[in-house]
Amino acid sequence: MEGGGDSFGSSTAPLAWHDFLERMRQPSAAEFVKSIKSFIVTFSNRAPDPEKDSAAVQEFLENMEGAFRAHTPWAGSSEEELESAGEGLEKYVMTKLFNRVFASVPEDVKSDEELFEKMSLLQQFIRPENLDIKPEYQNETSWLLAQKELQKINMYKAPRDKLACVLNCCKVINNLLLNASVVSNENPPGADEFLPVLIYVTIKANPPQLHSNLLYIQRYRRQTRLVSEAQYFFTNILSAESFIWNIDGESLSMNELDFQRKMDSARERLLGLSADSENQDNQANLDAQDRKSENLKANRNSDARLSMKDHVQGSGQDMRRDSDVTVDGKPVERVQSISDIEKKGAAELLNDDELNKKFQEYPFLFARAGDLTIADVESLLNSYKQLVLRYVALAQGMGVSPETTLAQSSQPPSDLVGSEEPENVNDNEKSEGISKTSDDVISENDRPEALDIKTSEKMTQKTAVDPNDDLEALKDEAPCQPENA
Amino acid sequence: MGCSSSVPARSTGGLNTINSDASSATDSKELRAKLVLLGDSGVGKSCIVLRFVRGQFDPTSKVTVGASFLSQTLALEDSTIVKFEIWDTAGQERYAALAPLYYRGAAAAIVVYDITSPESFSKAQYWVKELQKHGSPGIVMVLVGNKADLHENRSVSLQDAKEYAEKNNMFFIETSAKTADNINQLFEEIAKRLPRPTES
Ligand SMILES: Nc1nc2c(ncn2[C@@H]2O[C@H](COP(=O)(O)OP(=O)(O)OP(=O)(O)O)[C@@H](O)[C@H]2O)c(=O)[nH]1
Ligand SMILES: [Mg+2]
Repeated sequence: MEGGGDSFGSSTAPLAWHDFLERMRQPSAAEFVKSIKSFIVTFSNRAPDPEKDSAAVQEFLENMEGAFRAHTPWAGSSEEELESAGEGLEKYVMTKLFNRVFASVPEDVKSDEELFEKMSLLQQFIRPENLDIKPEYQNETSWLLAQKELQKINMYKAPRDKLACVLNCCKVINNLLLNASVVSNENPPGADEFLPVLIYVTIKANPPQLHSNLLYIQRYRRQTRLVSEAQYFFTNILSAESFIWNIDGESLSMNELDFQRKMDSARERLLGLSADSENQDNQANLDAQDRKSENLKANRNSDARLSMKDHVQGSGQDMRRDSDVTVDGKPVERVQSISDIEKKGAAELLNDDELNKKFQEYPFLFARAGDLTIADVESLLNSYKQLVLRYVALAQGMGVSPETTLAQSSQPPSDLVGSEEPENVNDNEKSEGISKTSDDVISENDRPEALDIKTSEKMTQKTAVDPNDDLEALKDEAPCQPENA
Repeated sequence: MGCSSSVPARSTGGLNTINSDASSATDSKELRAKLVLLGDSGVGKSCIVLRFVRGQFDPTSKVTVGASFLSQTLALEDSTIVKFEIWDTAGQERYAALAPLYYRGAAAAIVVYDITSPESFSKAQYWVKELQKHGSPGIVMVLVGNKADLHENRSVSLQDAKEYAEKNNMFFIETSAKTADNINQLFEEIAKRLPRPTES
């Protein structure tokens, strides 16, 4: 049966990127190198035309894969090696062509901006209930893990790597749903459970240029490798995008007027927040990403100024489900300290008839060491991670640094206003968390993947390979070097 | 809720199911078939799939996976191996407009209604029309009346459904995901109807 970790085929399998480059450097590969370079030159000199561009790349990849099969240094290789060579080729070619084809036409750029704006508005008021996510499957804190996977999509240039971000996001959601279904004794979660969560996570993650990213995967991921489960989950995110485009009051089970009002006040709040940031003209090519992160950096001053207000509201919505924080930007009452809340909660728990039910989610709470088996390690570790995440997120939402909460639990939240931690602020509440500098990438990657050891290994491998370095080898004659531009 | 867990019926007619991962992808007779299920919410689509996929497995197996994408392999008598890739679709009304994204390129579509619900039968007819308009040409369409175990509350007659299916060139079968009646037969029939790749 499929559906588990390793069924995404070569989309998430380790890529023998070094091996590919190694072989490409062999004299016997000279003809291949020549064809690839000539394709890239010819292609780069033509005006963008997404339909034609996609067809040309697909055809070229197909032909080259056929040629690999028949000639040294790949002739006689196993299917697996050939597959891996095809992956390497795709990554190489698309890394070279990225700036030329990604968001290369004005319509796509415009769609990116519109979709981004729509999601930034929606994310301020949408609730899981609006999408039919049943209470037993609601787990906003853990969904942050899935959001992080999706937000990595702009860190990569190769279609395969971008697709892997989508698939990892889906995998995290699936794992969480599965855990929840076991806890609540439900059938294995199906599309009824999965799609709404994916939509919710996508809106909350709101990675910049999502539309272009999805089109790019669709156009340039080799079609023979976008099949089966990978294709299913990719279709789900396409369908999430389509749903989001069409969201209106009705599709969220809201009165249309109410919906418009919520959108308007969300827009007002957003405008207030980004008053002095000129909206970057997202022209597609080159360092859209870099420029974005620069703009965002520039905006951080204004963000920091507003971070207190934004902080309480933003994370209040995310983390404190039953809080009375309003979505309409009305002033929020002063945040209590964590220990105050803890005391209050403990007192309430003691009077709670449903106490046992509340702890069902934490099956190890009353276990003794002797009860545990090796098989429990994984789920114990999972539970631990969820718990830490919730705690840290809660602490963050309260405006208290997690490390210090134990020692001095009543740190006034106003300290945060001056603190220099924009990344953390962003992480929990804003899609701008995507704007990591490349230095952050590695450490960034260390956390969420830990949820799934296998993914972690793969992703580490993936990120450890910096295309820039490897491409140096063939750079001399390389006609275009987007990396250096 | 939950699909009943009575003993699954074994396949009949000399057809054998085999473990999906054991089959070699390079076998020229392996056929990969994308299959979607459409129908009103609550008619039993998810249960049918779970019954089909799970029924083939060792009931002591502890492996549970998500049920949104499942695959199951069937070996036919002519030694063709069909690997079904079953795409679940969200059934809530607000997601109905997304269905075309899912059934695009499908080799087969199972349109399900509940024999105790005339509304679900009307909805099934809506899906048939949709598929005729927007489905891939040559898509194998099957009409399934599910919850046959509830025949005492039947409100869609066997005759009506049969006639409708015939008119629309569909295979028709009544099933029960609860008792596992006709579930394997359903998938075997689809497997037999799939166009075979031309020998090369
Ligand atoms: N008696 C009986 N009940 C069934 C049968 N199949 C499904 N059910 C029940 O019908 C209900 C709905 O089944 P699902 O499989 O979730 O229906 P669905 O078509 O997937 O619904 P959506 O996902 O909402 O579109 C569940 O409570 C099942 O237990 C059947 O053959 N007989
Ligand atoms: Mg279902």
